[in-house]
Amino acid sequence: MQQEGVWLGPFRAPMRMVAIVFVAAAILSGGWLIVSTLFLGSEIGMHQMLRPGELISVKLTLWSLLGAVVFSAIYLSDTIGTIEPKPQGFFDVLSLIVARISMIAIVAVVVVMFYEVVARYVFEKPTLWANELSLWIAGFVFLFAGQYAMQQRSHIRIYIVYDIMPRWAQKMSDCISVLLIWVFTVSLVWGGYNEVKAKLLRMETFGTAWDPPIPATIKFAILFIICLVSLQALSNLIADWNKAPEHHSPADEIDEAEIENIRRTLEDQK
Amino acid sequence: MVDIGTLSVIILLAMFVLLAIGMPLGFASAFLAVATLVLKFGPELLYGNFGRGPLNVLGQAVYRQMTNYVLISVPLFIFMASLLERSGIARDMYSSLNVWLSRTRGGIAIVTSIMAVIMAAMSGIIGGEVVLLGLIALPQMLRLGYNQNLAIGTICASGSLGTMIPPSIVLIIYGLVTETSIKALFTASFLPGFMLASFFIIYIVIRSALNPDQAPLPPEDPDDPKGREKALMFLGFLSRFALWITAVLLGRALFFTVTGANEVVEGVEPIPLGMVSDIPWIVGAFAVALALILLVVGRERTAIGWAMGKGLIAPVVVIGVVLGSIYGGITGITEAAGMGVIAVFVIGLIRREMTFEIVWDSLMRTLRSTGTIIWVTIGAASLAAAYTLAGGPTYVANMIVGAELPTMGIILVMMLIFLVMGMFMDWVGIVLLIMPVFLPIVMKLPVDEIGFLGGVDPKHVAIWFGVVFCMNMQVSFLSPPFGPAAFYLKSVAPPEISLTDIFRGFLPFICIQLLALSILLLWPGLVSVWL
Repeated sequence: MQQEGVWLGPFRAPMRMVAIVFVAAAILSGGWLIVSTLFLGSEIGMHQMLRPGELISVKLTLWSLLGAVVFSAIYLSDTIGTIEPKPQGFFDVLSLIVARISMIAIVAVVVVMFYEVVARYVFEKPTLWANELSLWIAGFVFLFAGQYAMQQRSHIRIYIVYDIMPRWAQKMSDCISVLLIWVFTVSLVWGGYNEVKAKLLRMETFGTAWDPPIPATIKFAILFIICLVSLQALSNLIADWNKAPEHHSPADEIDEAEIENIRRTLEDQK
Repeated sequence: MVDIGTLSVIILLAMFVLLAIGMPLGFASAFLAVATLVLKFGPELLYGNFGRGPLNVLGQAVYRQMTNYVLISVPLFIFMASLLERSGIARDMYSSLNVWLSRTRGGIAIVTSIMAVIMAAMSGIIGGEVVLLGLIALPQMLRLGYNQNLAIGTICASGSLGTMIPPSIVLIIYGLVTETSIKALFTASFLPGFMLASFFIIYIVIRSALNPDQAPLPPEDPDDPKGREKALMFLGFLSRFALWITAVLLGRALFFTVTGANEVVEGVEPIPLGMVSDIPWIVGAFAVALALILLVVGRERTAIGWAMGKGLIAPVVVIGVVLGSIYGGITGITEAAGMGVIAVFVIGLIRREMTFEIVWDSLMRTLRSTGTIIWVTIGAASLAAAYTLAGGPTYVANMIVGAELPTMGIILVMMLIFLVMGMFMDWVGIVLLIMPVFLPIVMKLPVDEIGFLGGVDPKHVAIWFGVVFCMNMQVSFLSPPFGPAAFYLKSVAPPEISLTDIFRGFLPFICIQLLALSILLLWPGLVSVWL
């Protein structure tokens, strides 16, 4: 990991402070909720987390959790890994931030699953919410992952013909690709707008005991994030416009940094 | 508007054109889904009213994918594999295995294959596996003067087994696309996977016996225990390991008994090895292992054997957690993948290898691969939904079945298509785009005409076809010009080994894979043995 920031500049240190404050707030308020449920007999559980109503402590936890995730993601997006190219514009930065959110979310999914398995098999108290929560989180992870893959230009493409084209033909092809992606996006929004709007407005829920608003949020997220992906595609087209013709081979898929890491792991403790 | 035959041809041609101009596969399929609907319903019906209309099926199809619980296992397995790569588990496993087989001719090659099988049972991703084996085993084999082709072929062919032996991402995606039970697919692929691995090992043994120069033995180490002594130590290691396993199982069974989780209830599947009636057996096995250690092997030898074989423990624990969760009836595939992540992470912590950097870096790679795979899924799901709405799969199936071609002829043509496509395309694209068309055809073929030696249970046709597909993809990892295994190995091999050399080394192994594939075609019953 490189140490200096790629886009925050002078705001790097303040952002770090903000992230730490929110993480601390989330730990404190969430910890208070857990302690009060476990030992003080309070009735606040995952059910109230979805419907805070008038409960200040729950609202506080939710907001600080949200802040913790978002601000940590912003702070962490300032350092890029060895596999990531430098962000070149607003949408690149945006994609990096959502990527960091998704990476935190993957860990959250693992933790939720672990909690559920332990609760079910060790304490025989299966939760009502764990499966749905991981489903809910994962839906966003899947969608954001596409935006990130677009920014990283790692979507599966076949380069056999593309590589032998002259540069102007490659540019043409790229324009056609982006145009067709936009056709798909517009069609998707065209066909789904009413349903999504209706579901979002009445916050349609999943119809289960915990009842998270999965249909409302995920359906909306699909349309919204596909628009972001298309914008990212357009931004890629502009960013790559003046680049020299590239030649691809399957060897590009190989990630030298990763191999170097593995090599180091193997040599470390011989 | 356009009849379904013309529509199919247009879509197929358009797909070739779009892929040729380098459009990402997922988005090309997504656009073609729109094109299919336009051809079927005409633009007026689709775009007449903003906000609704048949175009909504696309959103529905994407939504179904996004809220598919099993799909979550894909990022989790990738996460687990990339954590695994960065831990020293593989290296220790290699040294442990190597100790036992160092005096066997072709020993390192055999160790490489066995290690590949164990790694395959831990995770379902190739790539990392070939790289690891290439870094660990290739230098050793070359230093000892192994035949270069034998070394290369062994590493890449065995390294590709990851998708053949459960848990396998290829089978997970196949199961999702075709709505086949993934657990059944895993069970069914065990035997063919082991068959393929044992073919590799038999080939290595025969080749090095016929031609000892190709696999020279390492110089003898005077401190190394000899023949019988070593066998005894190995026995000691196994017994001590069995002691631990039985102790854990005993604790588990007792825990269930205390909590009453294993009460015999009509209609509820008994917990494997967790019922009260199992306890005597577990205690018996414990006693046998203990007797072996104390009476046959001796405690000192056991201790040496244990030290030599320690590296095998972590992999067995990980396999136990992942496959044990699935088959022990504890969790589904997705939770098993989550538990696998936790297991690898905890083992890494115990080994003091896990750092924030490693986890964060693995997450980054995970997210990237997830985006790549999932968005092909999104595009292909839209296309499949649109094409099904237009009546495509039924049309194609009827056409092919109506042509009265010999059943096995059709299957062979499909195999050929898989093999040729596998040379140019990633497995994800093949399974997502071709399967929705091919599987309905296979399901419509007369079951009793499938295979030559004994048929397959009609219920298991979809499972059999999935395993067959997986076997095809084994070939595609090695086949020139784009076999990914070759490029992974190239990146870690000494520079004087060229890509041509690597592909030359693959030849005999590709033949073995094709042999295994034909056995699977001739005797489809192989998959239902354990079902």
